[in-house]
Amino acid sequence: MQKIMIDPITRLEGHGKITLFLNDEGDLENAYFQIPELRGFEVFSLGRPAEEMPRITQRICGVCPEAHHMAATKALDDLFHVEAPPVAHKVRELFYMAFYVTDHTTHFYALGGPDFVVGPDAPAAERNILGVVAAAGMEAGLAVINCRKRNHHAIKMLGGRAIHPVAGLPGGWSVAVTPEMRDELVRIAEENVEFARFSLQLVDDIVLKNQAYVDLIVGGAYTTPIHYMGLVDANNHVNFYDGKVRVVDPDGVEVVRYAPHEYTQHIAEHVEPFSYLKFPYLKAKGWKGFVGGKESGVYAATPLSRLNAADGMATPLAQEAYEKFYATLGGKPVHHTLACHWARVIEMMYAAERMLELARDPEITNPNVRNIPTETPTEGIGIVEAPRGTLTHHYATDANGILTMVNLIVGTTNNNAPITMSIKQAAQALIKKGEVITDGLLNKIEMAFRSYDPCFSCATHSLPGQMPLEVEVLDASGNVLKRLSQYVD
Amino acid sequence: MDAKTLVIGLGNPILTDDAAGIKVARALRAGPLPAGVDVAELSVGGLALMEAMVGYERAVLIDAIKTRGGAPGQVYTLALDDLPGTLNTASAHDVNLATALATGRRLGAPLPEDADIHIIAIEAEDVLTFGEQCTPAVEAAIPVAARRVLALLQSFA
Repeated sequence: MQKIMIDPITRLEGHGKITLFLNDEGDLENAYFQIPELRGFEVFSLGRPAEEMPRITQRICGVCPEAHHMAATKALDDLFHVEAPPVAHKVRELFYMAFYVTDHTTHFYALGGPDFVVGPDAPAAERNILGVVAAAGMEAGLAVINCRKRNHHAIKMLGGRAIHPVAGLPGGWSVAVTPEMRDELVRIAEENVEFARFSLQLVDDIVLKNQAYVDLIVGGAYTTPIHYMGLVDANNHVNFYDGKVRVVDPDGVEVVRYAPHEYTQHIAEHVEPFSYLKFPYLKAKGWKGFVGGKESGVYAATPLSRLNAADGMATPLAQEAYEKFYATLGGKPVHHTLACHWARVIEMMYAAERMLELARDPEITNPNVRNIPTETPTEGIGIVEAPRGTLTHHYATDANGILTMVNLIVGTTNNNAPITMSIKQAAQALIKKGEVITDGLLNKIEMAFRSYDPCFSCATHSLPGQMPLEVEVLDASGNVLKRLSQYVD
Repeated sequence: MDAKTLVIGLGNPILTDDAAGIKVARALRAGPLPAGVDVAELSVGGLALMEAMVGYERAVLIDAIKTRGGAPGQVYTLALDDLPGTLNTASAHDVNLATALATGRRLGAPLPEDADIHIIAIEAEDVLTFGEQCTPAVEAAIPVAARRVLALLQSFA
């Protein structure tokens, strides 16, 4: 058998690259965060029939295909000027809640959570889902795998296909729920609520009862007061599927509350020469650079942002957890980025409870899941909350429904500026007067961006399954002082 | 489950050469296969890839790859330990395959042994541009890789 060394350093384009610039005093001046961007999506899409977008856009990203499918489907409702029947909205949302439970579960148990459940100072080799199994027990590990399994089944049943759904149509959904499916979905949702309860208890037992972990969350290294964005319903409760986009300032005061078709009036995108990825900001505040605070247009769109941007949760157990969250962390809004992991578990509970409500809704088995579009298509905008932040799809077509314009603002793009700021903050503590404390630098930086769960689509399926990350430290003259990566240090 | 061997084409079907693994899987599905072989397509790694292998005795993974100095279209036969896998959560979005497999086994899932997971990789030229066509050298390598997989499958019999 041929042996070759696969050196991830060669895959430069696939790197997440962080560059830290020091000033003349040897202290951190600037942090640049660069991720590779996939090219040519707009060119690829233009000239195609708009109704292909729910199936095409979900291929952008191996992580949240369901979110793209849903944002695209809603953009098509708008584009074709057709309102989906009420039951179609319910079936779509039911499907979407199953996706949310799975996605948040995977992140909490396998990705971000191990920093807390296993411990932030545990060796890197233990800070993974295996470590979670060791700390929380086999029962927890099996519960995670079973949760993924039953919800993947629900997603397949409701979406028409596993992983890459096909059910979204302008004016509705192609799958109607039969009474047999309903019974199964009720059972799955009930188990999801139990699992979310177990997960909230785990946060309680393992994280909140450990003062060192609480200190890490509320400590200054990961605290960034900025604006927060999230979709809310008519009561200003968190909603993942529909509603208005609400933004609050660092004091929790509402700045804007806009409907999807108004997004261009409120959001603009700043360009930096070092990054392909743009930096969206609030037009009302303007771009003031990579700074937080009330006067800066920088905002975040994460689970924590959604909780901060809302007045509460629409389901009882999630609301209870929401109140405890703010009571424990010192009131609203919470600015500690690491609290995002706890926020994610509260959202997991909401998604589970909402799924159960929808599965039990007497109308859910109504077979009328589609209205046929009859208007000439023009322009459409669809917004949903993806697990990683507010997701906006915007299309325009000619009179035959052929795409002439495509613009997407994806979850991670919203968070591009805050991620850069959080990395800078985390690195600042470890670099003083030219001294670079390399021990733990990578992990501290990784923890900063892991809480945003950023989406590096091209890295997600690569066989090693790892996102190569490289950190370079440059002195004031631009000389490289240190170069670190997971593979070479 | 009757099949003992799972062939998985990995990749993104609309990302130029990243589609190579998927295209090899489709080529294999179009022709006759030895008995007891299932063919799947997957666009995700980590836990989902591990979950797909549950219940099989052997797996053959087909994917695009970029190596130092590799010529686009080159086809490699690799073993699991050729991949630079460690047991940490360096990936922003998923655990690596080694961690996923270890987790599955720890939880009692019947999974192929590491030695029974084979990898056929195709050196890619462009995995960052959206497009339905692979670059010419990679397109030409698809039947080569498919024959390599077929030979591997026949060697199991």
